[in-house]
Amino acid sequence: MSDQDNGFKPELTAFTCIYCGSMAADTAGALRVSYPATVKLFRFPCTGKVDVEYILKAFEEGADGVYIVACSIGNCHHVHGNVRATKRLAYARELLQQIGLEGERLGIFYMSGSQAHAFAAAAQEMTERIRRLGPSPLRKAKERELEP
Amino acid sequence: MVQRTMLGSVMVVGAGVGGMRAAIDLADSGYKVYLLDSAPSIGGIVAQLGFMFPTHDCVLCRGTSDHGYGCSRPSISPFLLDHSQHPNIEVMTNSTVIGAQGLPGDFTVRVHRRPRYVDIRRCINCDECAQVCPVELPSGYQAGLVTRKAAYKPSVRAIPNAYVIEKGPYCLDCRKCEEICPTRAINLDEEEQIEEIHVGAIILAVGYRLYDPTPAEELGYGRYPNVVTGLQFERLASRSGPTEGIIERPSDGKIPERIAWLQCIGSRDQEHPYCSSICCMYATKEAVLAKERLAQVSCEIFIMDERAFSKEYTAYFEQSKNLWGVEYTRCRISEIKEDPHTHDLILHYQDEKGTLRRKRFDMVVLSVGSEPPPKAVALAEDMQIELNEYGFCKFDKFEPLDTSRPGVFVAGAFATPKEIAETVMDASGAAARCMALLSGKSGTQVTTPSYPPERDVRGEPPRVGVFACYCHPTIDQVIDVDGVLASLRHLPGVVHTQALEYGCLPGGPEAIRAAIREYGLNRVVIGACTPRTHLALFRHAIRQEGLNPQLLEFVSLRDNCAWVHGDDPAGATRKAKEEMRVGVARARHLEPFSKEKRSFHRSALVIGGGLAGMTAALSIADEGYDVYLVEKTNQLGGNLRHLYMSAEGPNPQRLLRTLIKRVHSHERIALYYNTEVIGFSGHVGNFRTRLSSSGNGEPPRCWEIEHGVTVVATGGYEYKGNVYLYGQDPRIVTQLELEKRLWEDVDAARRLRQVVMIQCVTGPEQKIHYCSRTCCTNTMKNAIYIKQINPDCQVYVLYKDLITYGFREEYYTEARRRGVLFLRYEEEDPPQVQISYGKLEVRVKDVILDQQLTFTPDLLALSMATMPAETNPQLAALLDVPLSSEGFFMEAHLKLRPMDFTREGVFLAGLAHYPKFIEETISQALATAGRAMTILSREQLEVGGTIAIVDQAKCVGCLTCVRVCPFHIPKIQRQAIGVGRIVGAAYIEPSLCTGCGTCTSECPANAIQLRHYRDDQLVLAEEPILGRWLVKD
Repeated sequence: MSDQDNGFKPELTAFTCIYCGSMAADTAGALRVSYPATVKLFRFPCTGKVDVEYILKAFEEGADGVYIVACSIGNCHHVHGNVRATKRLAYARELLQQIGLEGERLGIFYMSGSQAHAFAAAAQEMTERIRRLGPSPLRKAKERELEP
Repeated sequence: MVQRTMLGSVMVVGAGVGGMRAAIDLADSGYKVYLLDSAPSIGGIVAQLGFMFPTHDCVLCRGTSDHGYGCSRPSISPFLLDHSQHPNIEVMTNSTVIGAQGLPGDFTVRVHRRPRYVDIRRCINCDECAQVCPVELPSGYQAGLVTRKAAYKPSVRAIPNAYVIEKGPYCLDCRKCEEICPTRAINLDEEEQIEEIHVGAIILAVGYRLYDPTPAEELGYGRYPNVVTGLQFERLASRSGPTEGIIERPSDGKIPERIAWLQCIGSRDQEHPYCSSICCMYATKEAVLAKERLAQVSCEIFIMDERAFSKEYTAYFEQSKNLWGVEYTRCRISEIKEDPHTHDLILHYQDEKGTLRRKRFDMVVLSVGSEPPPKAVALAEDMQIELNEYGFCKFDKFEPLDTSRPGVFVAGAFATPKEIAETVMDASGAAARCMALLSGKSGTQVTTPSYPPERDVRGEPPRVGVFACYCHPTIDQVIDVDGVLASLRHLPGVVHTQALEYGCLPGGPEAIRAAIREYGLNRVVIGACTPRTHLALFRHAIRQEGLNPQLLEFVSLRDNCAWVHGDDPAGATRKAKEEMRVGVARARHLEPFSKEKRSFHRSALVIGGGLAGMTAALSIADEGYDVYLVEKTNQLGGNLRHLYMSAEGPNPQRLLRTLIKRVHSHERIALYYNTEVIGFSGHVGNFRTRLSSSGNGEPPRCWEIEHGVTVVATGGYEYKGNVYLYGQDPRIVTQLELEKRLWEDVDAARRLRQVVMIQCVTGPEQKIHYCSRTCCTNTMKNAIYIKQINPDCQVYVLYKDLITYGFREEYYTEARRRGVLFLRYEEEDPPQVQISYGKLEVRVKDVILDQQLTFTPDLLALSMATMPAETNPQLAALLDVPLSSEGFFMEAHLKLRPMDFTREGVFLAGLAHYPKFIEETISQALATAGRAMTILSREQLEVGGTIAIVDQAKCVGCLTCVRVCPFHIPKIQRQAIGVGRIVGAAYIEPSLCTGCGTCTSECPANAIQLRHYRDDQLVLAEEPILGRWLVKD
């Protein structure tokens, strides 16, 4: 695979809530449903906690893509944390586009905690999307910065 | 007198939604609970449900499987969220009770424990046993739609979190599972046991069984693959079902285009002469789910009466029809035919107009009803309790949660078919009954874990210890655990790394504790299975060494790494290194915090002195706490004063007299007549209420009381507006007025020649149509009474839907048997009432006869709607709690918290919640007492934890947090000083904050931070953690 895509493995950050999002991740584990091993997970009490600052910081630090895994709309444990996250995500996308980053690098997925395949599919979809877009220019910059 | 022994422990038999709720309430109130279930895992039928009506949210996170069977704060949460381990609850699965000796307060219960063959303390969920097991059996959890092995886990999120071996006749006894188990958790020679357990009280919450339609051959269930039961459809549509919620028909996996639901399968028939109460709603839910998922599907429900009789249900039905286009056809189908080539199903039926029709469907769902639970007869014999004629648990109308044996209580569908909300009310109510019986014994049989004093680590440089489990074979088969640890050894702050065989098995926590001592660790990172199941265990371990539990960072190496990247060991190891690196970086910034303890007022305010208010007040007072009972009028009783007969027999006036007498004489109840609430402030544990008392022409007197909890029981009233000429003629009366007349003057009934009763009478004041629940049964009661006294009197009932749910169906049957005639009218074409030349005339177009009929009755009785109290809007505003669209008070969650408000410490019972029967009101009132006890029984309140904290010095008072908080908790404190000395800054009350962090992400001034997730704990100056991976391949 790596021959076809020049060895580019997108590095992704996923923000989940401790309810459906991380529960779906655990269900994927229990059912052994695999997805690319290049996604790192952050657990928050609610996706309502996903601050625009964290999203932008992840990009600034060189993530190729960032996505949120939230409870399905209407099923947030904090009523509408996922709706707030969705709104913030739209705003963060605008900011990304303003600095020349593709908005598609940022995604959100809604699912319930039992949806192992949906969780894996989200990781797969984001990975493929970012692979098409190529590495984040910020990551390259960061890497150059770190080189002697 | 001999002092009887009273034990501070309760056995809850049945661990479905009711059993769990009762267990949690008792455990939270300081009672030791033994929670039994005959199945190998808890959850009952509710664990198999994906979504609830009418809220359409998942059940177990608020309830069940779809969000992963076991999360969530709002409902059953404390139990399931806290890693399935409430310290006061002992779960006993595969267990049944086989006898109970003794007296209330002191029972010896004999429990039969069937072997599980798997030691749940040693099972690591590796699935090896299931993989080698050669035996395939239908999966009970998936309602037989798929198979599982004889060595299996009932469901992914099953609690207890362990496998089980079913050694029945199918097991080949090959012992492969025993051989392969890496932790030696399997012992196939385990034997059954009889255990004796001493408890003070017993709650039977054994639930119900869904009717098995196999014997009804005409329905083809079991022969035609596309005929499924409601539960099977539920699994198909469930996110935790075999297809993750993609509805496919069983014969060929085709996406169905036409689905039919057949109602009353195993209900309202010869064998089951009662209504199962839940099927109309669950069929509607399933049809709406199908519509939501499948754009092209057409759904048709074949129904007798639309029994949508609870809060927001009517609106749900309307939505189903009008928004989703679900069709309802009034007809009972008695036969299904199959096209053998396509496996399509063909229904022949007569519509309401009598026309014969034939329709083809891709799938037919049988809305099967409720039966008594399996082995109910044996259970009744063993426990020495009585069953009713239908085989359910017998109870008294006025003591709905008591069985025939003192000290043994009943909750949920074992007493009568009922849905989740009513089961939950029963459960908390039954818990309250136990607490009243065992009053004063709270805390006597539970042990709280004791920890050494906490070491203050603030200011110390971080000394991080990193641990990782091999958890052979689950982690180490994929991840190079030693390599992961080696990559962390030189990270800043790390002073120790250590691999553990199994961190959770004996020896694991001890190794961590020893390292904390030896290396003086002040932060711990553990890479293991998943925090969902094991965070509590490791937090407990570090607390035992004097470290605050928040100083632990948990990285999921198994569920989120090894198990999902089994095909990519190098990638998995790389990800493990990166996530552990992030864990170490975060650990360096973790800070200790604990919940703060607060003193509070251990007393209750009950608003309203009707049946609900008196019952709640008496129950709380009986449990030993002071109650302020506030009644607006100058007498107790409320609507109960106007009830003279009950369909079941017992006299409501007797109940009224008993309650009033008990309230008056109770030393812990302070009763205030002519008194209203005019001010309300504070929060759970510390409410401050301003009361105003007037009357006897004296000037109003105002004063304040302080109390810890509040119960709202302000009732409702029978509508008496100007409709159908009501109020203009003495022959036109309400159903309650009729009851009074019949009661006071039996001869009046003898003189009657013809009576017409109109159901579902509402006026313009009732903005939204809803079912008042009690009217149909009241109508039956009065109609039967008239017919008993005067069989020649003609009684006509004009109705839209007859809603005699549960065993009340019996009165409908009896009324018909006695010759009462029922005529259905359409909503759009209601009856006409007029008086011409002194003659009372009622005209109605009967739908079934398709004819205009005219009656000239002696008496017209109107089943008036039960209305929400007119003062509800003012009181709701004072208490800062919401009202429902119907105008009743709105509880925290329609299904799972029917007696709680979102405002902590405020509870709800009776008609203030929704119209209901006497027995239902009593259950809910007792439930509020049970819930109140979970607060009042504590020594101190614990508040705080992972909550949002405002730095008022940075606050500009912009109100963003006030607007975005889902629970309306942030308030602007007028006396506080914000940034730039602006007056007024935000304040978040720690006892109320749920810790979601939404406000912290939106505060433009960054003045709010969420503990444990502060910005400076996530955006680190010294190394990136959110973005770039620093791991070297």
